Amino acid sequence: MSEGAWLWITLALIGSTTILTRGSFIIPGERARLPAFAHRLLRYAPAAALAALIAPDILLDQGAFDPINPKLLAAMVVIAISLRSRNPWLPFILGMGVLLLMRKGLGW
Amino acid sequence: MNDSFKAGAREGFFAFLPLSVGLVPWAIVTGVAMRSIGLSPLEAMGMNVIVFAGTAQLGTLPLIATGAPIWLIVLTALVLNLRFVIFSAAMAPVFDGQPLQRRLLSSYLLVDGVFAILSERLLKHPDKHWRWGCFIVPSVWCWALWQAFALVGVLGAGVMPSDWSLEFMATIALMVMLIPMTATRPMLVAAIAGGLGAVLLRGMPLKLGLIAGIVIGILAGFAAEHWSAPRKGASS
Repeated sequence: MSEGAWLWITLALIGSTTILTRGSFIIPGERARLPAFAHRLLRYAPAAALAALIAPDILLDQGAFDPINPKLLAAMVVIAISLRSRNPWLPFILGMGVLLLMRKGLGW
Repeated sequence: MNDSFKAGAREGFFAFLPLSVGLVPWAIVTGVAMRSIGLSPLEAMGMNVIVFAGTAQLGTLPLIATGAPIWLIVLTALVLNLRFVIFSAAMAPVFDGQPLQRRLLSSYLLVDGVFAILSERLLKHPDKHWRWGCFIVPSVWCWALWQAFALVGVLGAGVMPSDWSLEFMATIALMVMLIPMTATRPMLVAAIAGGLGAVLLRGMPLKLGLIAGIVIGILAGFAAEHWSAPRKGASS
């Protein structure tokens, strides 16, 4: 493992990537503006990024494609609940409930 | 602190509150993970405060654990954080008329959840005091929650049940953010293409499959918008 001073230097550099990326357009302010074309493209960024973070977790098992697995079924429940109910807590309760039931109850 | 700031703060906080619950297990899991590779409690909390980005923290831990070269660790963190360039560009108008120190603070605090839930209403609102309240209050709340429950994980590492799949709460939180966004067809196309792209390209080195998936999703959404627009015009 990285030790002592090197570890803290590493952590500071990792932290600098957080500030640099998050501040890339916020810090320069009015002086930096994306062209309108880029803005139209970027409207799709959050949805694409969230899906790209979610999909590997619910479609893969140990790095291999697995179309029927407990996480995917729990995700289906979360989608169904989110589309039908405005209650913000239900997706967490039912999603985890389904996953734990299958993992612990059925030993999947 | 004027009334406009308070109104913005109230709206932002209550809109973000349910989602912040999904952060709790993620913070705990991150705290446990940092201790599990051999960081001391001080080092773990140092990382949590300095980096303040769950994906970059969890993604670099295996590299730190194996003593990977520093450039590889930092490059991996940069790639995992690249999506924030996109968020930053989209959010920049929210901070029009704000002094530099507030911009710096906001850059440190900007996270996925606040962006996903609040960016639309932040960009629409004409009052900069309202926007500042609506951004900074949920963001500080999110920071405090993240630090507090990471500390729970750091101090409780070893006592926590590791077989409860608690990390899945983070995925549920991401889904709760995503689903309302996909109400229009181009957005849905962007999400499906981005998700499948990330899955199919997972073999790319340095987690670049994630970035490639995001780019594919953006282009697919844009293409869907382009192709559906003339038809909509013709039918109306």
